[in-house]
Amino acid sequence: MHRVLYLVQKEFRQILREKAFIGIIFVMPFIQIVVLGFAITTDVKNVTLGVVDYDKSSASRRIIDAFDKTSSFIYMYNLESEKAAQKKLDEGLIKVAIIIPENFERDLRSAHAPVVQALIDGVDGNSAGVATAYVSQIARKLQIEWLQDAGVAPQVLSKMHLTQIEPRMLYNASLESKNNIIPGIIAVLLTMITAFLTGMSIVREKEIGTLEQLMVTPIKNYELILGKIIPFIIVAFLLMLVGILAGGLIFGIWVKGSIVLLFALSILFSLSTLGLGIFASTVSKTQQQAMFIAWFFAIFAILLSGFFIPIQNMPDWVQVVTYLNPLRYFIVIIREIYLKGTPLVYLLNETLAMGIFGLVTFTLASLRFHKRLS
Amino acid sequence: MIPIKVENIHKNYGEIKALKGVGFQVNEGEIFGLIGPDGAGKTTLMRMIVSLLFPDEGNILFMDRDVVSNNAFVRSHVGYMPQRFSLYQDLSVEENLLFFGDLFNVPKEKQHQRLERLYNFSRLGPFKKRFAGALSGGMKQKLALSCMLMHEPEIMILDEPTFGVDPVSRLEFWNILGTLRDQGITQVITTPYMDEAARCDRIALIYAGNILALDAPDKIIADFPYNIYKIASEVPHILFNNLKSVMEEKDIQLFADGVHVIDRNKMGINEMRNFLKAYLKDDEEPAQSNANLENIFLDLMHEQKEQV
Repeated sequence: MHRVLYLVQKEFRQILREKAFIGIIFVMPFIQIVVLGFAITTDVKNVTLGVVDYDKSSASRRIIDAFDKTSSFIYMYNLESEKAAQKKLDEGLIKVAIIIPENFERDLRSAHAPVVQALIDGVDGNSAGVATAYVSQIARKLQIEWLQDAGVAPQVLSKMHLTQIEPRMLYNASLESKNNIIPGIIAVLLTMITAFLTGMSIVREKEIGTLEQLMVTPIKNYELILGKIIPFIIVAFLLMLVGILAGGLIFGIWVKGSIVLLFALSILFSLSTLGLGIFASTVSKTQQQAMFIAWFFAIFAILLSGFFIPIQNMPDWVQVVTYLNPLRYFIVIIREIYLKGTPLVYLLNETLAMGIFGLVTFTLASLRFHKRLS
Repeated sequence: MIPIKVENIHKNYGEIKALKGVGFQVNEGEIFGLIGPDGAGKTTLMRMIVSLLFPDEGNILFMDRDVVSNNAFVRSHVGYMPQRFSLYQDLSVEENLLFFGDLFNVPKEKQHQRLERLYNFSRLGPFKKRFAGALSGGMKQKLALSCMLMHEPEIMILDEPTFGVDPVSRLEFWNILGTLRDQGITQVITTPYMDEAARCDRIALIYAGNILALDAPDKIIADFPYNIYKIASEVPHILFNNLKSVMEEKDIQLFADGVHVIDRNKMGINEMRNFLKAYLKDDEEPAQSNANLENIFLDLMHEQKEQV
């Protein structure tokens, strides 16, 4: 068992001598959190808007004001006709056109259910969906105001069915996307570091021939594997800490739950990614090959994790596939602990699933790794 | 105890037959050389002795134990130096030495005693803080050897240890091996260099997966039944082509400084001179010479090729 310590010591000597490594550990998570935290936003902001006002009443004026005031929209044009709106949409000058029909105010007051039409540029499906939701929301707000003005009692009001709210309203003002992004990035960083660096570090010894030398020593298989993974688990944790600090200092998002639990479950999760790294090293002769294999699996894990794309939006069969993805469970765990402070009791299913995958992957990969040349 | 016994080893890589029934025995305290060109099967055999590869057929006994079923024993009692330099280039000389001491469970106090001794004979002491990657070729090989000596193995397996090393360092390296032999360490070494073969106690000439000859180098030379005549020449390849028309190809050998002729029919030097006169320039004349290992190896190689 002492030999594991010597291997770890040796590995750290090498890591510390590689200047690029220090950069990877401390600078990479910081930059990723900052850049991605600001850049990857699913919040809709600054959507260009045009309005065709056939009514020109005080009610239609209110609608235009409401859109003008919110930061989600930029009111660009007051348009003559639907045709003009269509043209602006085609030219890409506006993303949304609101068409207020003639006699809008009169119909509204006489309860004739006027129809406000919204033309939305659907190229960016996500923005379109959110813009639709915002349009409905603003319309609803205005209706409530008008009804209150008209003297409808609040009790009655609460029972009335007003403008239907778009059901794809996944995002609301209080849940900003950076809350999702930061734990997500930390999970992805952990995946990459543990899978890539472990695999590459083993294959590097293959490339320079030291693995052949190591094989002809009394060192045992499991000692060799432990000696390789322990340093990278430590590196991965340092990197997580830097990521957590960056998220806290820059975005003010700190871990709400137990940090011990977070790290404990991260080790459990890492079993799968370390297993992937070891597997990649057993089938590769060069670092490039190991990198490619690790990347091939990692990209699927990340895309099917629910980090960028909500799993419930995926086709049924893909949703089934995601159950085979340990990162799927870890994304849930890290978000829950990070944002809600959820205790372990409510995360048992995910923990169990992740643990089983981790143990199976890690064991299979370790069995493939043996001290013999092929 | 027999340090190493190799019995009827066969090994195939797919279609390629790397070893075709090789057998020999290494005696205690000797330097045993496996001599042959690249691709002869030397490295495959070495890797099998240290249990990195399994033979398809045959047995290898390491200190009287079967290698395949006792690989842990082999790996803790052997000092193995692979063909390529395989130490950590980004660790210093001392860190490399201590690391291998640690891996072989050598107690710390002992490690430091041995370190001093190894520095003494390898003369690496002044460079102990230098990264292994920054050493010269000769020093790298001495370091690799020293790392293997940290656990004081009874048997050392050295695969082309002097490959790419300058002549002066090669000589120094062989002197170290001689010292180790005097201390009783059995060594199996491979080399493509015939001058190094002569420094071994016993050698096996190996070609295309077969052993062609197996004995002490002097004995192999003494047993060669024919005379060799050396014809020094400025343009050996032209001379070689000329001689091809009158002599059998297996009896003429092209060297950098001339052509060596094997007197297989026992003509004697004078008759040979007359016989070849017409094909030689004025300054080219056959001279009596002793067979060396290279002559013998080339001749045996030719014989082997004819059989196939």
